[in-house]
Amino acid sequence: MGLSSAAAGDGAQLCVFDLRRGQQEGQELDKILFFHPADCPILLQLSVIGLCEGIVTFTRIFSPEEDCEVIESEKHSHVFYQAEPDIWMVLVVEKTKDDESTWRCGALQGILKEAHSLFAMFHGPIRTLLDRQPSAELARCHLRTFLTDYFSDFYVGKKLQFPTYRDSLKERGTIQMLTVSREAALEVQSLTTVLGSCLGNVTCQSLILFEDLLVSTTLPPDDTLNLYTYAVLRLTPRALFSNASSWSYLRKGTSVNAGPTSSSSNGTTAGERPLLREKLSKGKDGFIAADFSATEVRGAVPLTSILWFQQAEERMYLCIYQHKSLTILLLIPASSLINGEEGITHVKKQMLENASQKIVAVEQKLSRGWGGENAYHVSGYRYLLVDPDRRVSRASPPGKVTTLAKDSLLALNRLRQEVDLEKARYKRSDPCIDKDFEVCIRTKNNAWVVAKISRGRELYMALEKGGETLLYASTAVEKFSNRYCEGAFSTD
Amino acid sequence: MLANQMQGGLGTPGALSHAYVQHPPLRCDIPDIRGLFYDDANKFLIAPTADRILYWKIAPSTPSGPPNSDPVNEGSVLSVRYSLDHKAIGIQRSRHEIEFRNRETGETCSRKCRADSETILGFFWTDCPTCDVILVKTSGLDLLAYEPQTHAFRLVESKKFNVSWYLYTHESRLILLASGMQCTIFTGYQFSAGGIVKIPKFEMTMSKSEANNKPVLAVDDVHIVTVYGRIYCLQLDRVSISLNLYRFYRDAVVQQCTLPTYSSRIAVSAVDNIIMVHQIDPKVVILYDVFLDSYAPVSAPLPLLVRGLPSNIRQASQAADSQSSAYGGTIYGEGWNFLIPDLICDGENGLLWKLHLDLEAIAASSSDAPSVLEFLQRRKSDPSMVKTLCLAIVRTIILERRPVATVAKAIDVLLDSYSRLIKMGVALPGVRRTHEQNQQSGGQPVEGSHVISQVPSTGTAVSPAVNPDEASGVVNRSLQSNSGVEHGIDRALLNTSSDSDEITNISGATGQGTSGHQTSDAANKRQQVVGEDSRPLSSGTSMQHGLHAGSVSISPIEMFQSVFALVEDEMMGDPAYLIAIIMEFLRSVSRSGLKAPHNLYVMMTMLLARSNRYAEIALFVSNKILEPSKELAVQLIELGLHHPPTRKLGMDMLRERGLHHDYVAALLQDGYYLEALRYARKYKVITVQPALFLEKAVAKNSAQSLAAVLSFFCEFTPSFKTTSDFGRYRHILREMEMV
Repeated sequence: MGLSSAAAGDGAQLCVFDLRRGQQEGQELDKILFFHPADCPILLQLSVIGLCEGIVTFTRIFSPEEDCEVIESEKHSHVFYQAEPDIWMVLVVEKTKDDESTWRCGALQGILKEAHSLFAMFHGPIRTLLDRQPSAELARCHLRTFLTDYFSDFYVGKKLQFPTYRDSLKERGTIQMLTVSREAALEVQSLTTVLGSCLGNVTCQSLILFEDLLVSTTLPPDDTLNLYTYAVLRLTPRALFSNASSWSYLRKGTSVNAGPTSSSSNGTTAGERPLLREKLSKGKDGFIAADFSATEVRGAVPLTSILWFQQAEERMYLCIYQHKSLTILLLIPASSLINGEEGITHVKKQMLENASQKIVAVEQKLSRGWGGENAYHVSGYRYLLVDPDRRVSRASPPGKVTTLAKDSLLALNRLRQEVDLEKARYKRSDPCIDKDFEVCIRTKNNAWVVAKISRGRELYMALEKGGETLLYASTAVEKFSNRYCEGAFSTD
Repeated sequence: MLANQMQGGLGTPGALSHAYVQHPPLRCDIPDIRGLFYDDANKFLIAPTADRILYWKIAPSTPSGPPNSDPVNEGSVLSVRYSLDHKAIGIQRSRHEIEFRNRETGETCSRKCRADSETILGFFWTDCPTCDVILVKTSGLDLLAYEPQTHAFRLVESKKFNVSWYLYTHESRLILLASGMQCTIFTGYQFSAGGIVKIPKFEMTMSKSEANNKPVLAVDDVHIVTVYGRIYCLQLDRVSISLNLYRFYRDAVVQQCTLPTYSSRIAVSAVDNIIMVHQIDPKVVILYDVFLDSYAPVSAPLPLLVRGLPSNIRQASQAADSQSSAYGGTIYGEGWNFLIPDLICDGENGLLWKLHLDLEAIAASSSDAPSVLEFLQRRKSDPSMVKTLCLAIVRTIILERRPVATVAKAIDVLLDSYSRLIKMGVALPGVRRTHEQNQQSGGQPVEGSHVISQVPSTGTAVSPAVNPDEASGVVNRSLQSNSGVEHGIDRALLNTSSDSDEITNISGATGQGTSGHQTSDAANKRQQVVGEDSRPLSSGTSMQHGLHAGSVSISPIEMFQSVFALVEDEMMGDPAYLIAIIMEFLRSVSRSGLKAPHNLYVMMTMLLARSNRYAEIALFVSNKILEPSKELAVQLIELGLHHPPTRKLGMDMLRERGLHHDYVAALLQDGYYLEALRYARKYKVITVQPALFLEKAVAKNSAQSLAAVLSFFCEFTPSFKTTSDFGRYRHILREMEMV
């Protein structure tokens, strides 16, 4: 939506290109699947992509197994991500003089990865689209609308604003879980069983969120992550509220422009622009659906999104139901639903009939046990806990992290960058062995910044009101570990 | 065997009866006896001869030997009742005289009434504190106190009113005195150990016949029946052929409903808290379970069966007549006399039968598993059978893949019943032990079912003092806001007795059940509306059921052993269903405040892994749905061979459980020997062989590592230097360094 109007002034470029296309001289344009800003001169686009392709090819000589990740030049960073074999996404960000452009390569790569994962969930892999339609019109069209909608979240004013050092206690591409009592967890599972049986003999999958936190899932981790990410971006009560908030209204006029002109011919539907904020709303029946009546003429196109789940290897319809703080994502295997919308209506009815009571009970139970947005704040600590195996993280609430001094955050960002490199190094040497290590750094402002990796789990921490000694820092970590991580980081 | 029957039989008809009498009966056709009498207080079947009284004590079980006997004076006998302490015998000699005989001294004394103005209708012994014998006369009641020293009776009180006939059962301690033209006006008293309670006068309803002549209510048409410690009365209205059911409260008698009848004569028995209404003419029985104030019959009317007859006869024909010929009497024959609560005396043939419920057949007659289980859990008569049946039902509904909600409800029923038992803190040692076993971490659930089934079904009476519901007999005052009248009415329950021990002693198994329920009925008395005046009744106490439910209750361990472990193999094709069921089971277990056996978690984990649902394993471990235990940790580590994150879950569990040795060993096995060493040092784990660490270091082919491990052990275990390992690995190290 906003990308075209933003012009090149935001200083960021994003391109998606396919190295298997346009290998003949004169056909270079064919490689480009997406370029932002769209109004960037073709020659400039070609030169950016040409540089990227050159770097990719060159680095492969030295490192055939590992992809090139980043090129740092004086004024720009080029962040690479090979989304699918030979399909690359490159983000070019401009460096500014101040610290505000201090970022972490891994965090930016995370954005590209997230964008691609979500895209694949809604539209399938890019390669599949290209194979289906070699002219690439479909892929380009989907990429344009999808990435435009996705990156609309990163706009601050007219500028694309990517995560900086201030976000070093956040981990994109992880799930935040709600901690529930055993009793509540069993109730939730009982609800999951009921949800699973909405279709009769074929089991439906489901995700249950409370506020922005995941409560339960029946999907494999990667699929859970993608759907969870989508839910937090657009579907949870907080996301829905911001969908309707005023700033999106400003861009409402441009949304039609951004949409492809060909939309009328092949039908750009809710399923195809799932990240379009304005159109999602909660209906009277509690289900969240796209509302098109105002803007577009509805044909015989499906109202309900069909999602592709890579790990589960299945295409499924997504129904979203919300009761107060509880968001339920119900997934109906597309293969077992012959009569489309009609079948979905039936499943929805079944769900309301069988599960309503349980949903209300679970919501009540979870609300009662819910400590609010600062529930996971641990006073004295600013932390980030990551469990990459389960793709789960937990961090100090953002409101608390902002109280950290700039120096602490910069040091933490730097430390994380180092840890990323270290992790990559270990992974190369032996991918099966977890290497434990620990770093404690005393920063300029006399804070302690700690990174500790133990049996694959990661803990990052900033302690500002700390004592003088290293002993203090390690005791603090030990205490935290014993109290909140079941001793996972207490090795010595 | 039973399981097979259940699988095929649940929900399918084919049961020929729901009640039966067991062949052979007690034979009491001794020559010379002058009739058979029944002393319901002592459960004696009494047969007087010319100069003796023969009696069989038929509770708690029917005896096989010859009867006991007491010498008595000669004379006619109208009825015989032993005193409750068995020290005296009361014999009604005529309509004007009762003779009391001291069994030790042989002394006799007699009590007569005025022959001109009154006759004695009967008498009974009572455990009421103020008197010992109640004499029922046409002119009222005489309350007599017995003085054993002098063997004399003292009149304590006399209650004057006209009596046409009376009805008394010791079980209820309730006497109903009929009066009026139609004998429909009743005065009632309860003479219990708690004192005397006067029931307000009430009238039973009688339909008018067409001829406008007023039918008279006969004593045979009124039956007092005691179930679940509540007292009911059934009155047959011969004109409209219907059966009115009344329930007694301390201050009121409330008609509950009218039951359909198919006979002009009925008899009533109470077997294991089930009301059996015998329809004499069509020779069928209808069963009612009034526990939840539901008055629908348990099942369709079916004939009474004689069980245990020689098989060839049974096979030849199932007809009642041939059965009759087989034992030489007639089912529901003229001579049949129904004794309180569950006996049939065939006076003509001198046989005594005991009525039984065919729980298996009743269970098979309904497919509503949760209700059947509730019904079974309320039964006391055959605990091991009930248990077996319940477990078979749960297995069957799982194997039949009934909806999860149904199975969950069924499981709830069983676990609720068990948790009630536990909460009552019943002093059943077997149960307690099972429960504790259950809570032991890492304890193998050994023979849980075995322990439970050893609990004797009788003689485990619990002193009423332990019963938290003791106070439920107290009048509760509560105003119902929805009442249309200006005042609420207190309606306390009329209990059978306030001394449950007493009942237990007297009536054995049945009494035991009764005592268990004596105070519980208040709970189950939900808000009821009195038909005519719509004044609501209040109830105060919470739902409690059965002190002695212990023997039928099924622990989570037994559920695991007799349900989940058995169905697992057959459910392999659809682990998702079984997982959902186990999840519901866990929910139910947790809701009831119980613990599930660790093996169940292990099984669940295996099922999840088999369906490749590793993410859910992680979720359930993290939210403790899968309760941590060593068994589970070991299972996770094993499953983790194919799924490393799951292996980590198992390792974490070992560490969190403080199983240091196992944790170190597991680390070592994965090649993390330095981490293992560090951990061993921190937690002083000295049980893992140094050679294992050294071997890992050697495998790494790093002299540096090997030297580090060697020097670690030299410091960590001072005696290490003297072992052969030390020498061996130092040698290896030297060789490595030379290369």
